[in-house]
Amino acid sequence: MLDALVDLMDAAGGRCAYADARWVDHSHEALTVVDGAIESVDIVDEEGVGVRVRVDGAWSFAATQTLSREGLQEALARALALAEAEPRRPAPTPLAPVAPARGSWRSPCAIDPFGVALEEKLALLLAADEAMAGDPRLGRRGAFCVAERAVKAFASTEGAACEQSVVECGGGMVAVAVADDDLQLRSYPSGHGGDVAQAGWEHVVGLDLPAHGAEVAEEAVALLTAPPCPEGTMTVVIDSEQVALQLHESIGHALELDRMLGYEAAYAGTSFVRPEDLGALRYGSDALNVTADAVLPGALGTYGWDDEGVAGQRTALVVEGRLVGALSSRETAGAVGLEASSGAMRADGFARQPLVRMPNVSLEPGDGGTLADLVAGVDDGLYLQTNRSWSIDDRRLQFQFTTQLAREIKGGELGGLRRNPLYAGHTPRFWAGLDAVGSPSAQQVHSFTKCGKGEPGQFAHVSHATPPARFRDVVVRAR
Amino acid sequence: MTRDALLDAARRAVRAAGGEALARAVSERSVTARLARSQPTQATDLQRARVEVLCVRDGHTGLAIASRTDDDALAAAARRAHDAALAAAHAGPGDYPGLPEPAPARGHDGFDVATAALDPGQTGGALAAALDVAEVRGVELAGTWTAGAVTEAIASSRGLEAVDAVTDAQFKAVAQAPDGLRGYAARAAVAAGAIDAAAVAAEAADKATPPPGAPAAPVDPLDGAGTAELPVVLGPDAVADLLQMLGVLAFDGRAWAEGRSALSDRLGERVAAPNISLSDSVRFPGTLPHAFDPEGTPKGPVPLIQDGVAHRVVHDVRSAARAGGGATSTGHAISPGGAVQGPIPRNLVLAGGGAADEAELMAPVERGLYVTRLWYVNPVRSKETLITGVTREGTFLIEDGRLAAPVRDVRFTDSVLRLLSTTQALSRRPRLVGTTDFYGPRFAYGVVCPALRADGFRLTGVASPGV
Repeated sequence: MLDALVDLMDAAGGRCAYADARWVDHSHEALTVVDGAIESVDIVDEEGVGVRVRVDGAWSFAATQTLSREGLQEALARALALAEAEPRRPAPTPLAPVAPARGSWRSPCAIDPFGVALEEKLALLLAADEAMAGDPRLGRRGAFCVAERAVKAFASTEGAACEQSVVECGGGMVAVAVADDDLQLRSYPSGHGGDVAQAGWEHVVGLDLPAHGAEVAEEAVALLTAPPCPEGTMTVVIDSEQVALQLHESIGHALELDRMLGYEAAYAGTSFVRPEDLGALRYGSDALNVTADAVLPGALGTYGWDDEGVAGQRTALVVEGRLVGALSSRETAGAVGLEASSGAMRADGFARQPLVRMPNVSLEPGDGGTLADLVAGVDDGLYLQTNRSWSIDDRRLQFQFTTQLAREIKGGELGGLRRNPLYAGHTPRFWAGLDAVGSPSAQQVHSFTKCGKGEPGQFAHVSHATPPARFRDVVVRAR
Repeated sequence: MTRDALLDAARRAVRAAGGEALARAVSERSVTARLARSQPTQATDLQRARVEVLCVRDGHTGLAIASRTDDDALAAAARRAHDAALAAAHAGPGDYPGLPEPAPARGHDGFDVATAALDPGQTGGALAAALDVAEVRGVELAGTWTAGAVTEAIASSRGLEAVDAVTDAQFKAVAQAPDGLRGYAARAAVAAGAIDAAAVAAEAADKATPPPGAPAAPVDPLDGAGTAELPVVLGPDAVADLLQMLGVLAFDGRAWAEGRSALSDRLGERVAAPNISLSDSVRFPGTLPHAFDPEGTPKGPVPLIQDGVAHRVVHDVRSAARAGGGATSTGHAISPGGAVQGPIPRNLVLAGGGAADEAELMAPVERGLYVTRLWYVNPVRSKETLITGVTREGTFLIEDGRLAAPVRDVRFTDSVLRLLSTTQALSRRPRLVGTTDFYGPRFAYGVVCPALRADGFRLTGVASPGV
């Protein structure tokens, strides 16, 4: 298919300022068990080509599933026609230069998840579900696993011609306990969508879902009668997974350069961070060090090249609390005078054009030790664990999160369960309260597979490597 | 693809699957064009098709989706669906009660020939008209124009054969004044020709304009407090956001049967003010209709809340079986075989009230809030319908019955049913609010609702410190 894309780009060269084309052959499998019964076995296979052109300073894109030479030419013609119909196209700004991508890249995978018998996968999920069973207060329990394979080829009018192959695999489980007016849930190994990695079936086996079933169910039921979470301004220790979501929402998205430039004002929003803040803004305390890392092995935001042919790379975003970098495309990097794109353009399948999407944005470990060490530094506070819900404004400034559970911290020791914890804050003030970050041994990688952005909407898959962390002066409420 | 070609693909897929099977062939054509900083940024032209094959074996379902319609692709998808259902059946009988018997679906007026043509010139013309208004008004414009045509054909081993075709168009605009104040407006319709992009841009510009005599800087409606409760007038876009979330939290028949719904054990109870009548009405004037759901069940009206009393929830085939008591699918499946998250209403209609317009709703408010739209709405405690979100692009302080000043965007944390319980008045004419962002295959839906006035809107923080 790569040859066909290269031929198409040869044809596009004289008809627009720039063009690229992506072929994606995507397979997806999702298995779900609910309350002891197999709920669904869904398998998707989809293949197509997306052609993107730049006419003056505006982008147009057309997608097709007709993969013949004529079909590709027709898609190119549609993209060009759409561009020609657009009023007031901006003057072309220079794209940040990049060496043409060449070669191939493949994610790690030991056991091909599509080669594992469905019966074997379902047996594991049924065992996990069974491990949660028993308490009549459980309104629902469920276990699931997913596998994805995307084979891609990319070519551009600047001579790029590369191929990539990615396999993702993961799973998780959830128990929902209900009472008259209350609903509590616990999940493993994360709050949403389980844990997914660029890996094979060995990743799901390694999660050992059945071994965690009893604890998940017991905690969900226990939360129904746990005391309410205390309110006030206090010190909190946040578990690695919730730190990942906090980082994703209040730093990752805020540092997308398209948002900072106003390109996403109509939907996802803008950012409180301005391009001129680069190198100047105090984002948090000295303990805050954040890196965008598209070469982190096994993480979902890892790739050989992004979807405009820029190599995956590591980019420092925040160093000792000071903003030093942003997530960019070739266009946005060029717009603010950066020498190169950070390689953050990704598309959700063949039928969407790439957007600035965060690669793995990670909190660099500190010297705070283990979770127990972080807790030991708190005389009176809370430990918050596993995300339950999240919301942040369209400039990524004011947020409010709830977690599945809290535990009181008294005298440096973890206490009993507390239900319905909710905390809120403003991004720079919150990160200014970061006073300790767990050590490298406490860092874990967490995945998100439903990160939404763009019109038509696109989901991105991304991971975050995060240790648990401690924050001072956090506002905690019951509702 | 033509209707006949899609129906032929669905038939061939059912034959390839053998046994109990359903196939749904869907084609989509759409155009989306985005604006930012008063310039076009990204435009997208999509043509895609897919065939969903559902096999049912011993109470288990297997679903496979192919993106080609040739015999080889359909046979491969049918085999995968068959193997998936069979693998599930190895664990013992399942609880899927079987495909629905064929039933005739009524027609609708949800297809517009001109919109289906997807003329790039129409897209460019809409953007140009909106940009002209922005230039005259001195605001910077961001926005999105989208139009699409979706045709689906469904066939099953029970003898079901049906075809449906719909179109939709939407335009939304975010205007930003030189002082940073932003305003929002949007319209959706079956026909692109029914949307006046210039008028939408003008309405957004109006929302980005401070009321006469307003202070230069947006005010803090919480007056520095951590929380506050204020009377509120919610515009239709904000009401639609609330109702869309209520649809998930309250009317999902699967969650209702499992005790997870806000209405579990509450049907027949008063849950809202007497002036609240909410239904799922797929053929209500102005909505985005569909003839049947992905299981082939014809869609019809379902009263959800009548005169403030919880009345019904919606079902797909699986949730109806789980609910028992003679429940049947109401045509609200999200996918063939039903989705794990359960059925949801996608044509919500909130009946209008007696107020002539939003100005009349504001008239009795001594001090309160006017909200154009909400953003990033998520549940906090689902059984209480307690949700949180922020206001965005058009939030004003009401004083002495009139808009008095733009305010900083605020966070709210409140219960949807509590707000509907304190709803004092609604505007007379509901309008369609498009509520889909078109993740995945295009499926247009929305909420038809009026503006309303409610008491005690609970604010829990100031969002952006700017406007």
